[in-house]
Amino acid sequence: MTRKIKVLDIEIGHPLQDLTGLDGYHTLRALVRLHGSPVGYINLPIDNGRCCAASLRAAIRHQHANALLKVEVRHRLQASPAAPEQPQSGAADQSTVQLEANRSPRVTVAVCTRNRTNQLVDCLDSIRELDYENLEVLVIDNAPSTDDTRKVVQSSFPEFRYVCEPRPGLDWARNRAITEASGEIIAYTDDDCMVDPAWARVLARVFFDDPAVMAITGLVAPYELETEAQLLFERNGGFGRGFRRHWFRLDPSTSGDWPMNIGAGRFGTGANMAYRRIVFLAIGGFDPALDVGTPTNGGGDLEMFFRVLQEGYTLVYEPDAIVWHKHRRSLKDLQAQITNNGIGLYSYFMRSAIAYPDLRWTILRFGWWWIWFWSLRRLLKSVFVRPLIPRALMVAELKGSLLGLIRYGKSKRNQQEIERRFAAVGLPVVDAGIEPTATRRTNEENR
Amino acid sequence: MMHLLRCKTPTAVRVLDLALPLAAIEDLADYAACEVFVFKSDQLLGKVHIDNLYQNLSAHRLSDAIAEQLFLLLAADATGQGHDRQEDLLSAVVPALATGPASAKLPDDVTVSVVVATFDRPEQLRGCLHCLRSQISPRLVEIVVVDNHPASGLTAPIVAEFPGIVLVNEPRQGLAYARNAGFVNSRGSILIATDDDVTMPPDWIERLVVPFSRPEVGAVTGNVLPLELESEAQCLFEAYGGLGRGFGPVEADTKWFTRSKRHAAPTWKLGATANAAFRATMVQDPRIGLMDEALGPGMPSGVGEDTYLFYKIIKAGFTLVYVPTAFVWHTHRKDMAALRRQIYNYSKGHVSYHLTTLLRDGDWRVIHHLLWDLPKAYLNRIKRRLRGRSVYPVRLILLEIRGNLAGPYCLWLSRRRVRREGKSEFPPSPGRIECPATETNRTSGNSHGRAPADPAI
Repeated sequence: MTRKIKVLDIEIGHPLQDLTGLDGYHTLRALVRLHGSPVGYINLPIDNGRCCAASLRAAIRHQHANALLKVEVRHRLQASPAAPEQPQSGAADQSTVQLEANRSPRVTVAVCTRNRTNQLVDCLDSIRELDYENLEVLVIDNAPSTDDTRKVVQSSFPEFRYVCEPRPGLDWARNRAITEASGEIIAYTDDDCMVDPAWARVLARVFFDDPAVMAITGLVAPYELETEAQLLFERNGGFGRGFRRHWFRLDPSTSGDWPMNIGAGRFGTGANMAYRRIVFLAIGGFDPALDVGTPTNGGGDLEMFFRVLQEGYTLVYEPDAIVWHKHRRSLKDLQAQITNNGIGLYSYFMRSAIAYPDLRWTILRFGWWWIWFWSLRRLLKSVFVRPLIPRALMVAELKGSLLGLIRYGKSKRNQQEIERRFAAVGLPVVDAGIEPTATRRTNEENR
Repeated sequence: MMHLLRCKTPTAVRVLDLALPLAAIEDLADYAACEVFVFKSDQLLGKVHIDNLYQNLSAHRLSDAIAEQLFLLLAADATGQGHDRQEDLLSAVVPALATGPASAKLPDDVTVSVVVATFDRPEQLRGCLHCLRSQISPRLVEIVVVDNHPASGLTAPIVAEFPGIVLVNEPRQGLAYARNAGFVNSRGSILIATDDDVTMPPDWIERLVVPFSRPEVGAVTGNVLPLELESEAQCLFEAYGGLGRGFGPVEADTKWFTRSKRHAAPTWKLGATANAAFRATMVQDPRIGLMDEALGPGMPSGVGEDTYLFYKIIKAGFTLVYVPTAFVWHTHRKDMAALRRQIYNYSKGHVSYHLTTLLRDGDWRVIHHLLWDLPKAYLNRIKRRLRGRSVYPVRLILLEIRGNLAGPYCLWLSRRRVRREGKSEFPPSPGRIECPATETNRTSGNSHGRAPADPAI
């Protein structure tokens, strides 16, 4: 028996109201937001299909008091003294004018998809609701076997640009978005996601405010928790990475320490990430041997987070940029996805160990630690304490992790094969950055 | 913000005035960290530390760090009325969360069953039943007395004095057996458990059931005050901690439950079934169930049946609310021997309860509690006594320790007895005896009011 959980989004800038019509659900999980910023989840039992405002209020007050005050204070700090400063000199005047022009930089939203038109339509519908003006939307159709995606985009979403990328592999599609984009910011989401109306605006603001930021990841919340599989996915860690902003950056003065960017899963996921386009010129594009559509089945996003930080740039986790993800509904799909997570992660480790020889030992240590910490330790614990997720899923992830060790080489050969096959067509190529300067450039550059 | 390094050099020192518009700090390219002293019109508010790692700080990042580190000060400053409690601040800052003056009320058609477990204490039972009949409540109140020693024949005549009160016989000895028998034979949608040695004011039921207007509340406990402190034993029992749990409201939910990974969730601080109410759906929920018969008075294990039920309710995701204003008066044991027995039982029960959560629910925090927290607490208490800061004698502390050590063995004994005697089950056993004159317990305005029969309770 699965206990269905209703996922809701509650903005408490407005008065709270009783929630009704929740029949068939056992628990309510509400993402609480104030001024659009997420504060946290509350979980409440549903009684006869309803949940009264007093319960919501009590739960929010009790569980998120500090977080709410923080959001409120931050909001007031950012909003109140909005009066522009007096220009002090001619030079400052000029730069102010220039800044004003850049205040809303052009954002390209890239949705990579393949043969999933019914999900894609929901995704594009939500993108249409974005409250940001200077926007371009690219739908990258990756090696489609049918013509459906093109038809849907051209008939229902004529204002969005359809691009067909025949080379199979998600990272080929992501790289295609880099060459096609007209915006200085590229925001990626997946076709099984719905974006929050403020998503693009938040991303643009963070990039505008902080010129040093090269990449942003955001909160990925579950769109629904209707089935056992979706619940298990959340229990296995899910995609959410919390409600606090983080500025991630390698510390050039601690080269001896364990670099924090190797476990790149903590920064977020490819369903909600955005980059300044210029960063790809400096560090190369996504590695086409990684991610869905290749034998590695994932890891392209993680590898890019890793590389952005490794090359000395700043990555921000911004929870205000929200994407709602539809988790896999069936247990079979979930198991496949968990296996793929393992394969993707370890393929990314392999790739990075090849690209950064001086980090090999660290990556090896981290790879071993993660297998121990995440798979073996949990499996061992599950013998004594009833585990939160079925053991089969842990085994699936362990299996994926081990498979990942051998998949990257195979995928690389496939990639070369694809390159040869499509060489004549003259498709745009982005340097995958597989051979970046192997030394840690961060040290010299930043001191 | 990365917390990788303990000490970052060089660190920049900057000041920032919130009366001016928030501007980026642009000269930090040579600094690993930055300490920003935040002023508001010449008044120093506090300090913010940011590990900027040779990056300039944008206004966006500054505002985030200030909000993260100084939010209480700034929120108090923004509301301007010197709100020092976080609760008041929240109401002032987020209007949607201000608790309205009229707190929600439980609808009058929600029925209540009061389960009184008794063991051969006819005089005290009479006083308790008298108080229960005097309750002022607009709802249907059913009173169920569970006789845990029917063979003595002491209880039945007392119950017969109060027409309309339901008598249930439970010959298997043990308070958990008795309460379970009362629960399965009750018809109310809220079950209140109490003892025969308490008396209560007439508004007790209404005060206790108020939190059930919120659906997430699964259990409510109330305060237990000493009726008299005449003898030394009674005073020492209060010094031991008594049964009351203070005068401030407490809410225990999942977050409270999982607050610590190391320390066991202190469910034993949430009250006791001398004064507790449960939603009837709780004991029917397969995740929660009835009380664990192997725990509780009357069993070798001593106490803990109530605590373990609270544990399971909170673990299942419901909230437990402690309402200090819904109090009962409890008559503590008068003689020293009874007190020693009780404290010994409580100590056995404490360990039994913890072992039960370990065995049944796999709660490993128990190990830390029993092997570290508990001995540490004993040492502290002995130290306090030796320094003259406490009136609680060391010999009673040693008695407690002995009780703790006996706990595992007693739990084993109790469990064996439950296996032999069987568990309480839901289809009502034929123990329920309706008193012939079915006058009802529906109480109204006057303190002794009794209304006509209503069999549909």
